[in-house]
Amino acid sequence: MVSTVVHAAFALALAAGLLGEYYDRRALAAVLAVVLLPELDSFLGPVMPGAHRTVGHNLVFPAAVALLLYYDTRLRSVSVLRRRLARWTSERSAERWIAVAWVAIFVHVFAHVALDWVHLDGVNALWPLRDRFYALSGEIVLSSADGFTQTFVDVRVDPATGSRQIDAGAGGTTATVHVSNPVEPRAPSEVADEPVDRRFPVASAGWRLYLIGVGLFTLVARRLQSADPRQ
Amino acid sequence: MAPTLVAAAIGAILAVALLGAAFDRRAVAVVVAAAVFPDLDAAASLVVPGATNALFHAVWLPLVAGVALYWDTAAATDSRLRARFGWRGVRVAWVALAAALVAGIGPDLFGGAGANLLYPFHDAYYRIDGRLLFSTREGVVQTFVALGAEGPGLLPFPSPGTTASYPIPTWVNPDGRPGLSIGADRELVLVRSGWQLVVVAAGTALLAVRVAQARRSGESDADRDRREVA
Repeated sequence: MVSTVVHAAFALALAAGLLGEYYDRRALAAVLAVVLLPELDSFLGPVMPGAHRTVGHNLVFPAAVALLLYYDTRLRSVSVLRRRLARWTSERSAERWIAVAWVAIFVHVFAHVALDWVHLDGVNALWPLRDRFYALSGEIVLSSADGFTQTFVDVRVDPATGSRQIDAGAGGTTATVHVSNPVEPRAPSEVADEPVDRRFPVASAGWRLYLIGVGLFTLVARRLQSADPRQ
Repeated sequence: MAPTLVAAAIGAILAVALLGAAFDRRAVAVVVAAAVFPDLDAAASLVVPGATNALFHAVWLPLVAGVALYWDTAAATDSRLRARFGWRGVRVAWVALAAALVAGIGPDLFGGAGANLLYPFHDAYYRIDGRLLFSTREGVVQTFVALGAEGPGLLPFPSPGTTASYPIPTWVNPDGRPGLSIGADRELVLVRSGWQLVVVAAGTALLAVRVAQARRSGESDADRDRREVA
């Protein structure tokens, strides 16, 4: 996995701007909890093969939650969620937690699923609708010799049959892919005599250390800033 | 240099995170411009040998700007910046400085082509790349900071070379050496790897959401603030 520290830091940098007037310790703690939660799918690994990067790391669940949230809070005449929250806390804090929920969905998609998508075997993006891991890798270059080229999604047309083949980094399924994590450091199929080495990465490349730095910098800068005059 | 598009995206993320009540189109434009500014040293390399990732990627310019900004806004009795541009001007200036350092220089220093941090007083590119992890077998493993590393560097980070030995090719200057190479093939890298695509996508989406938020809360609100603060 891209280390949870990296996810958390990038999530903080994104959430800082989106939370707006709701930016405080409690809101940040809620966002961090949403960043940590999907990693628990590592613990499902021993009972469900390939659970890590599948159960907590797909785009179907966040899309479903976003649709439900939109339907309940915007389309319905009376929102069940808003009423419940208002009963537990207050009208004002119901609005606040709904706003935090939107931020959490945004951050989950961009700081968690997307960053794991570009790492190792990627994520099982469309699970449970479709069981297939996707790994995004490539580059986008504008060159004087070849013009615009991108290698993230490979579209090939067979000149003989005219059929199109699209390669968006699709890999194996939950049956064949195992993304190592501290709970299951090696694939269950792998037999080795060496003692188990559980590795907890903080940053395994310069850019990951950089994203950690950006997140921490944002937190510190927000702390040192003078208060907005309108507050 | 790391792709300028990535610097712009991180600049946008910092702008959204840090501008607060000073957030508007003009402020974002200033901050993003500050984030891509260091990459202009690639153009300077056409005249100055090895200026790419050195001339504007050194710490001196942001340091001087930071000291001047601190002097004007905190230490001096009456701030000229505040008198001219108000509270917004001060906030935008600080965030722009942060963007130049973090978004402009950062991606080159961390795992990019390298940044010549102490140029021109000490000539060596630095590149921070490695790993930091905890292993149940090996304990804490850390390879970012290398004390006594070989190479021309003064700071404890691995150095790929000096302006003389390590030319950095860019689309402005394909061979990294002074002089226009008119016929050469040029490559403008927009996104070099997966994580950079994620950062660009996240920055774009973040800015779009924030602009929509600002529009919903009403332009009149911002106008009133501007009058109050100025």
